Amino acid sequence: MTEAMPGEPRSLVTRASIRQGNPGSVGRASAASEGPAVIEVRDLEVAYYVYGAEPTRALRNVSVRLRPGEILGLVGESGAGKTTLARAIMRVVPPPGRIERGEIFFMGTDLGAMGDAELGRLRGRDLAMIVANPRGELNPLLRIGPQIATIAEVHLGVSRKRGLEMALDMLRAVAIPDPERRLRAYPHELSGGMAQRIVIAMALICSPRFVISDDATSGLDVTVQAQVLDLLRKLVREQNTSMLYITRDIGVAANFCDRVDIIYKGEIVEDAPTEAFFSGPAHPYGNLLFAAFSHDAELRRRWMGSAPSPEGDAAEAPCLYADRCVKRQARCLAEHPALRERAAGRLVRCHFPVER
Amino acid sequence: MAVVRYIAGRLAFLIPQIIGIVLVSFLLIKAVPGDPATLMLGPMATPQTIAELRAQLGLDKPLPVQFLIYVDKLAHGNLGTSWQTTRPVLDDLRVRFPATLELVTYGMLLALVIGIPLGVASALGKRGPLAKLGGFYGLVAGALPDFWLALILIYIFYSLLGWVASPIGRIDVTVTTPHMITGFYTVDSLLTGNWEAFRSSVHHLILPVLTLGLVNAGPILKMTQATMERTLEADFSLYGRLCGLPEKLVIRRAFRNALPSVITIVSVLYGFLIGGAVLIEIVFSWGGAGQYAVQGVLNSDFNPVLGFVIFSALFSLVVYLIVDLIYLAIDPRIRR
Repeated sequence: MTEAMPGEPRSLVTRASIRQGNPGSVGRASAASEGPAVIEVRDLEVAYYVYGAEPTRALRNVSVRLRPGEILGLVGESGAGKTTLARAIMRVVPPPGRIERGEIFFMGTDLGAMGDAELGRLRGRDLAMIVANPRGELNPLLRIGPQIATIAEVHLGVSRKRGLEMALDMLRAVAIPDPERRLRAYPHELSGGMAQRIVIAMALICSPRFVISDDATSGLDVTVQAQVLDLLRKLVREQNTSMLYITRDIGVAANFCDRVDIIYKGEIVEDAPTEAFFSGPAHPYGNLLFAAFSHDAELRRRWMGSAPSPEGDAAEAPCLYADRCVKRQARCLAEHPALRERAAGRLVRCHFPVER
Repeated sequence: MAVVRYIAGRLAFLIPQIIGIVLVSFLLIKAVPGDPATLMLGPMATPQTIAELRAQLGLDKPLPVQFLIYVDKLAHGNLGTSWQTTRPVLDDLRVRFPATLELVTYGMLLALVIGIPLGVASALGKRGPLAKLGGFYGLVAGALPDFWLALILIYIFYSLLGWVASPIGRIDVTVTTPHMITGFYTVDSLLTGNWEAFRSSVHHLILPVLTLGLVNAGPILKMTQATMERTLEADFSLYGRLCGLPEKLVIRRAFRNALPSVITIVSVLYGFLIGGAVLIEIVFSWGGAGQYAVQGVLNSDFNPVLGFVIFSALFSLVVYLIVDLIYLAIDPRIRR
């Protein structure tokens, strides 16, 4: 697969130059001894400005780091800021959203310092995104082949003919039956699962360094979802691509990701290797998510209740989860917890993390 | 092959459609009060002569019989005679229909040239000055009566500035009309190399075409803008940007996706203007088909009215057929 990818030499040149582009920040980023980060988000704040109201803080102080080849699951409920983070990394926060603070580095280069043209060259080539509702994301009036091929043509400078050959290779890679015929198909002629694979093919055709999957497989049938996920993992491993896998389904994250970040109201509340997380979440919200997908009645009873009645008034900056937390104590209303290291490689934002 | 079958199927429906249209318009025009015999003979006619003429015209027969007689003549290519011009309706319309068509076609082209770029520009710069201009233009174009605008244009460009020919007819009276091939003076004069006639007919077209173009660019602009705004914000456009496609390509694709709506409004306007341009025709003494039909209605001259209805129905049906073929070419989703 990898050696079959055309245009590879050219993109390697670019990648080398990107790597050398900003050695200072790479050095700083790799201080954590885990090797250089493909994507590093530091203290990111995004707010949505609504006329006549306080701006809504969609992301608060979010820091995320992905090593090469790592699959990071970002789990949270709707409105937690998952998609906002994805869009912010791609630097396409939809208005009225605004990046207030923070930096995003790709291979050590600050994306915030790049112009639109430069970002446009990165998007689709090194930073790719797989989105949900795949049929809406495909242009209904264009055949599949040209839609995939255009991306290779734009980013790798290949001819239409070569682009179509690459598109055909990608269709084979995403295991679409009868790929020659599908190249000439229109989006409405595809099933949802097939369209999802097409979008994956579009995202991966330039062998990107980093892929975001934004709730991409949640609309599929469970069996198809399992197939697509297997495929996605295989492709990502082959290309040594890092991936931010956004989902609401913690079960999928357990099977699919190397590491899990839990996001709540725009804050990362827990960060842990997948195995460690699933052997026992440390944050009460992580436990709630865990319990919600579990069949253990005892576990569900323990975590799915409502919060105890208030013990005094909430201070100016309480824990954001305090109003729902079954383990809430007086301190939770008074003081906003920081994201602290609880064990090696495990971070949690809680005054009273769950011990096991 | 499927396309040929599709066209054949559509054409097969043409004849029943025409018969239906003729039936409805026949009944409607008969329902309008007014007796052609009385009008033809004038105020001095005796009841007896009127009755004789009515019998001669077949007006004394029952309505269904009159209709069958008309359809029978129609089947033989005979549209009857106009008592006002005393000429066969077919001959009249052969001259007058192209006159209207020429006017309306150039008017539509101008409307497209104004409406589509302004619409696209407004959609691209949502709050920019062009969008404001587009919004203002749409409002004004919708509010101005076309005949009034025509009079203003005549006042400015003919009376004050003297830039164009006198707003009477399709060509200067001193210039020989070009030999009829298509019925479009501009085309025929070019085909026959009659430069004088070409110059004169262009001069006469300027103001009425300007009027039609300016007024009808409004709805085209609005439709282009609204549809483009939608397709530019559509998921596939956003995803195209996420894939790093150049903005120019995203815009071009969004425009392509907006085309079906634009073509729809153009086809509706085009069909409508065949009769709807009648006020412009009157202001410019154009001698077109709309004017001919209105004279027919006012004077109980049935044959020109029915002839006009048939001609414009045929025209509309052809336009819609062409539009459907364009849809078929653009949008794969309707090919099933």
